[in-house]
Amino acid sequence: MTSRAQSIKSSITEFISSKQLLILFLLCIFTFVSVFIAIGTGSYDLSIINFILGKNTGLQNIVLLEIRVPRVILSAIVGASLGIAGAALQGLFRNPLADPGLIGVSAGAALGATTIIVIGANFFPNLYLGSFLLPVAAISGACFVIFMLYVLTKGFGYQGVTYMLLVGIAVNAIAGVGIGILTYISSDAELRSLTFWTMGSFGGVTWPLLIPAIIIITISLIFLIPNARKLDLLQLGEPEAYRLGIDVQRVKLSIIFTSASAVGASVALSGMIGFVGLVVPHLVRLIGGVNHKYLLPGSALMGACLMIIADLFSRILLQPAEIPVGLITSAIGSPFFLWLIFRMKRL
Amino acid sequence: MSLNLKSVSLKLDNRQILKDVSLEINEGEIVSVIGPNGAGKSTLLNVLTGDITPDSGDTIYDNRQLNKISIQERAFTRSVMSQMQTLVFNFNVKDVVEMGWLQRGNSDFSSNFSIAFEAVTKECNVQNLVHRKFNSLSGGEQRRVHFARTLLQLWRPSQSNDPRYLLLDEPTANLDLSSEMLLMNILKARASSNVGILVILHDLNLASHFADKIAIMKDGEIKAFGKPEEIMTDDFLTSIYEVPIKVKYDPLRVRYY
Repeated sequence: MTSRAQSIKSSITEFISSKQLLILFLLCIFTFVSVFIAIGTGSYDLSIINFILGKNTGLQNIVLLEIRVPRVILSAIVGASLGIAGAALQGLFRNPLADPGLIGVSAGAALGATTIIVIGANFFPNLYLGSFLLPVAAISGACFVIFMLYVLTKGFGYQGVTYMLLVGIAVNAIAGVGIGILTYISSDAELRSLTFWTMGSFGGVTWPLLIPAIIIITISLIFLIPNARKLDLLQLGEPEAYRLGIDVQRVKLSIIFTSASAVGASVALSGMIGFVGLVVPHLVRLIGGVNHKYLLPGSALMGACLMIIADLFSRILLQPAEIPVGLITSAIGSPFFLWLIFRMKRL
Repeated sequence: MSLNLKSVSLKLDNRQILKDVSLEINEGEIVSVIGPNGAGKSTLLNVLTGDITPDSGDTIYDNRQLNKISIQERAFTRSVMSQMQTLVFNFNVKDVVEMGWLQRGNSDFSSNFSIAFEAVTKECNVQNLVHRKFNSLSGGEQRRVHFARTLLQLWRPSQSNDPRYLLLDEPTANLDLSSEMLLMNILKARASSNVGILVILHDLNLASHFADKIAIMKDGEIKAFGKPEEIMTDDFLTSIYEVPIKVKYDPLRVRYY
């Protein structure tokens, strides 16, 4: 092995144990398996094997390629982005309860998106609603909320755990008012697309909407993961991280911006899906450890995997009707949240 | 090679924290800073690390201004042990010690990691703790782990003789007698391998026994700076601490009354 290859290999395996590598590998496999199961299951009967063998009818192929596949891909990237954004924000704020939904980041993104739909349509009817405009508005909303949280919790450190959640309640309420007003002044057609944000769903996604989101989320994941070591050092506190050679301000800005982009792009396409950013990083920590080099990719994979399964349940539980997927994640996530609060009190 | 502080002054909230402070730490030398609470000792250390930018005066590492050195390079030049860090998430002790390992994408550094890691954990007597959770350790054990991390940050390939400095803020707080001795003896050993050390201490005996030079601070000023036997006198210490103090040479001992 050349020394260059050696150093690449050691930079991948440095600070990550072989057990953690195994967990990541297994999560990869689970994700692929759940993708195949989810594509092959639904109210319309079709099979992937027949598709590969070319035995499907034309209609089956259309359902598969235009409805089922984009939907599964969407749930995977939304789960991955919410999971990794939750993990990164918890690390950044050193707060185990920082979930993009709970602290108001998703609500900020939803407000940004609804504003563009209603105001954009009312005041600039000729404005071209390109497929990047909606995610960009949602990302701006998410960024705004994180910056606000950062300013408001400055100097609170670990004592700011409850404080941040209270700010989150307020932010959620303010965004709720905004969305409420926009709902009130919106037309029937706009209303239909608005209700979708408050529910959270993967239905009705098409390739032209999906591709910009895939690009944005992939780029944010690529920028987030190299920050893993820096997030670890931030756990010692900002002064200590600086003494270990971290440009703290730059790291914070880059994490805020990338996680806001990931959350914003997800919210723009699927609405507000709660508790994924809270539950997923905790599960990943529970099975393998807390270092971010493992936690960040682990949360992305686990998030993708769980979201595909949650969406599968939302499609098949009341076939052919659908339960909003946000309902399922909240039903699982909110008791978990309670459990976490009780557990923290004992610490 | 030396670390210098040149006429540093700092005001915070209209209070003069540091008044025209100058200090020199040479390679291979232990300088101990002592003084009553609120004298500005920790602030002095924060100026040396670069955490705080003073209103006037310079911090100079080996003839280079601190603000001309990149943040990453600073981490290679000086290692800091501050008073206490709590961790929110349940890190393993091994993870915490590893945080002191600075990566330089240099294969020489990577291949040496396990040797360096084993050496510092053994030296600080935490080799039996590495697989435990950091938050389950006692206060003293946590300090020893942070000390091991601080030492790991100082590691250099054996052929390198870049100057290095170790800055410690009350490292012996919470430590039992044997851990205290262990830590001070490690500092002594590091000094003899040419590391420049600044250590804030409360224990005057410890300071006079281990330090090559002592700086006595009060009200943001360095009142005296020199060899322990030259500056540790009854009258002077009494005036600094405002309690009667007697110095006994045994060879050098300080007693409180």
